[in-house]
Amino acid sequence: MNKVITINLRGTAFQLEESGYDALRAYLETAAARLLGNPDQEEILSDIEWAIAEKFRPLLGNHKTVVVTQEVTAALAEMGPIEADPGPAPNSGAGGGGTPGGPGESGTAGEEPAAPAGGSPRRLYRMPEGAMIAGVCNGLAAYLGLDPTLVRLAFVFLAIFWGTGVVAYVIMAIVVPEARSPEEKAAASGDPSTAQEFIRRAREGYYEAIKGFPNRQARREWKRQFKREMRAHKYFWGQHWQGCWTKPAPPLSGLGLAEPFLAFILPFISVLHGIVNILWVCATVSLLTPGNVFGLALPANVPVWVAVLILFILYGLIAWPLKAARRACYWGLGRPGPAWPLILLLDAMVWLVVVATLLWLAVHYFPQLHDAVQNLPALVHQAGNDIRTWGHGK
Amino acid sequence: MSVNEKFTALRKGLLEFVVLQIIAAEKVYVADILKQLSPTEFATQEGTLYPLLSKMRREGLLDYEWQESEAGPPRKYYQLTARGRGQLRETLEYWNQINATMKKLAHQ
Repeated sequence: MNKVITINLRGTAFQLEESGYDALRAYLETAAARLLGNPDQEEILSDIEWAIAEKFRPLLGNHKTVVVTQEVTAALAEMGPIEADPGPAPNSGAGGGGTPGGPGESGTAGEEPAAPAGGSPRRLYRMPEGAMIAGVCNGLAAYLGLDPTLVRLAFVFLAIFWGTGVVAYVIMAIVVPEARSPEEKAAASGDPSTAQEFIRRAREGYYEAIKGFPNRQARREWKRQFKREMRAHKYFWGQHWQGCWTKPAPPLSGLGLAEPFLAFILPFISVLHGIVNILWVCATVSLLTPGNVFGLALPANVPVWVAVLILFILYGLIAWPLKAARRACYWGLGRPGPAWPLILLLDAMVWLVVVATLLWLAVHYFPQLHDAVQNLPALVHQAGNDIRTWGHGK
Repeated sequence: MSVNEKFTALRKGLLEFVVLQIIAAEKVYVADILKQLSPTEFATQEGTLYPLLSKMRREGLLDYEWQESEAGPPRKYYQLTARGRGQLRETLEYWNQINATMKKLAHQ
């Protein structure tokens, strides 16, 4: 009489004798250890579990419900030891000569570092998706679990009053790595490794599989299994479909623009963007204080808030292509090269210098703006009062 | 190193090429590949094949899709990408070139 242990191999339950279970566990543990550092470690392990499950399945029938130890060891012997991936380097002499694509491929393979160890804590990364400049604030916000806008405001505040924000930003843009692989993105917001597991599986094409099934029952069974596993991972998914999955297509790559050209025009686009920003702020301030925009009086029947809204929309219309162009430049620049930090530094510096200069000029040479800045505390106070009286009046 | 060991190393290096050749012929899943290889000198096991396939996929040589099987859960069916076909073609050319060189040297 032998003790039996029930295991779950990729959604199918099997009953193994205890010593068979030990052998299987040892095999999988060795496999995991040998594949350590392989970017596809989890995927290969999952493939192996699938394969073992397929070997066990035909062994069982109506009158045989347990996989005995000999069968486990036979299946494992058939699987053979896991040979560690030789890595991106050419497999051996024979393959080496005939692969001219080798260096480029090894670049993509080497770029994905090993997935962070299970349950790893958050890591600080720059997140280029939805970034304004280099994704520092975005990454910091993910790291701290805050709204990116708040972090950006903090940086701007620091930049205006003590200039430290600029220095900190530039240093971080250079020092902090960019989150590129899904694993890194998951680590940036501190999601546990189950999240990576989820993304990996989802990517493996669970949905593709569903679409391909001709028979409804199989589809339902597949769906149910998928849902069960998702529940088991306790993963809240709506979030990550956007964050880790959608990578904006590089819009300029098709045009074949040379990188030096992009690096050259990027600061200019940034300057334009900065000017538009400043113009918008100035216009809004002048609208709120003397009630006109650059000398153009507001028609009497248009309320101020409508004008502010119109200004905002106008600003959005003008700034949008500039933003898109900057984003496109970043994407067009593609993989960071040795000049990458320099370009980012140049871009950020130019942008900030222009903004600061324009602000200074505006405050010093436009009396209205000067007054507006002087009146700002009083204005805020008054606005607060207005809101309070409005609240009470209701 | 005995002659036999040298052959082992040679076979190991050629395995990727052989796998490319098999997948080029038709969409296959791992058990098909193993079955086709088993009567040849390239007979191998899952433990070798899975890491190799995953490496080749990472290099963009092949891709897979899930397909339902008659019995049991869906399987991964592998097929070559354009890059994989290109690499196969280049490797074949290179292989022929080596053969020609060997013959030429033998005749001298």
